[in-house]
Amino acid sequence: MDNKQAKYPGLHPLPPAFVTDFPPVAVVVEERCIACDRCPPLCFFDAIVMEHRAAHKYERTAVVVTENCTGCGLCFEACPVDAFVWAPDKTLGARPSKAMGESERDLSA
Amino acid sequence: MSLTTSFVGLTLQSPVIVASGPASHDVNQIRLAQEQKAGAVVLKTACSDKYIHMRSWPRPRYKLLDWDKQIAGRSKAFSLYAYEQGYSGTLEDYWQFIRVCKEHASIPIIGSIFADEAHEWQEMAVKVEQSSADAVELDISSPHRPGSLGFETTFVAAIKAVVVAVKIPVLVKLSPGPDVVQQSVSAQECGAKAVTLCNRLRGVDVDIENQRPILHGYFGGIGGPWAKYYTFRHVAEAAQAISIPISGTGGTMSGEDVIKYIMLGATTVQILSVIMINGWESIGRINGEIEQYMKRKGISSLDQIRGKALESITYPDEIIRWSGESKKGPRNTWNDDKIG
Repeated sequence: MDNKQAKYPGLHPLPPAFVTDFPPVAVVVEERCIACDRCPPLCFFDAIVMEHRAAHKYERTAVVVTENCTGCGLCFEACPVDAFVWAPDKTLGARPSKAMGESERDLSA
Repeated sequence: MSLTTSFVGLTLQSPVIVASGPASHDVNQIRLAQEQKAGAVVLKTACSDKYIHMRSWPRPRYKLLDWDKQIAGRSKAFSLYAYEQGYSGTLEDYWQFIRVCKEHASIPIIGSIFADEAHEWQEMAVKVEQSSADAVELDISSPHRPGSLGFETTFVAAIKAVVVAVKIPVLVKLSPGPDVVQQSVSAQECGAKAVTLCNRLRGVDVDIENQRPILHGYFGGIGGPWAKYYTFRHVAEAAQAISIPISGTGGTMSGEDVIKYIMLGATTVQILSVIMINGWESIGRINGEIEQYMKRKGISSLDQIRGKALESITYPDEIIRWSGESKKGPRNTWNDDKIG
């Protein structure tokens, strides 16, 4: 039952540890990418493009356009080889745009 | 033969509508929907300023449950677990968004709003109308809405306030609760021109390694191909109780599902998960599947099959029954010798 041993672990079900400080964005580990073209259509924010890489095994790789990435996590589910990882987007400041406040708790009623 | 469907006074080129959500939050997606010959697009829901936090989204907020990534797109049973939030811009951005969509799109554009006080609903709906949307959908049933807002206590007043203030058709999107029929009747009495059945169910999944709910830690909306059977029933029941058209939504993956919704009395069908999972081409594929069925059955208009299955709904007292299994057979004899 070890999560890491699962054959297709998919998106780790919890946000990355740094989520309280920086917004997570998806990043492709290019060496892992098999250029299967599954992630660009699954992304609803036009945040994944395929780019040419002369030195890459498949000569192409998926690349995340960080400005467009909303960190939704869907691309993790598209990737059969788990090439996506979380990276902190340090351009957006060191506090969540909306921390848990009173109005947020209202939602849990 | 044509898929043309008349819905709340609008003429749609197809009964397939893009539902409110991540596939209708920016202008270019409207173009994609139009290229695929969607009937209309319901834009992503804008929340009133009181729910400004719903314009910020947690990361991550989607997970596919029961999903094998190795056979992406061929999985027949999965859940899309989503903590989908509201339109991410300000209300001014949203009105502008509607205007730009209307300027460029030839298919009808339906605005979607959420608020709590009736006057806010009204003000927002008027703005949607002024921004030239073709209709407005009142999203009173998001799985992420505050649970303190009830149908009778809040939303009836909201529907009434909106209906008197705008001339465009008002759609009401209901949650898949036990009161769907009663709420549909109320919506009709309040003057809604159509009901959308149903929004997503609210669910939760647990990460047993970390012993806490997944993702952001709170309940998310769940949907997927399995969810349609529940909504089929709601549509069937509501269709017998109300005269306004129904827009069915939930779990639609194929043209067959759309046909089933229509046979159970729906006029249009809203789709979203299938677009997210299988791409925009899904709309064109579904349209094609409906056309193939119509051709095979010699149907020229979907009106010919609308509500067809309802005619054969058989109530418990009408179901033909036979006596049960004989009570004297070997399965009702306790024989100790055969145990172990």
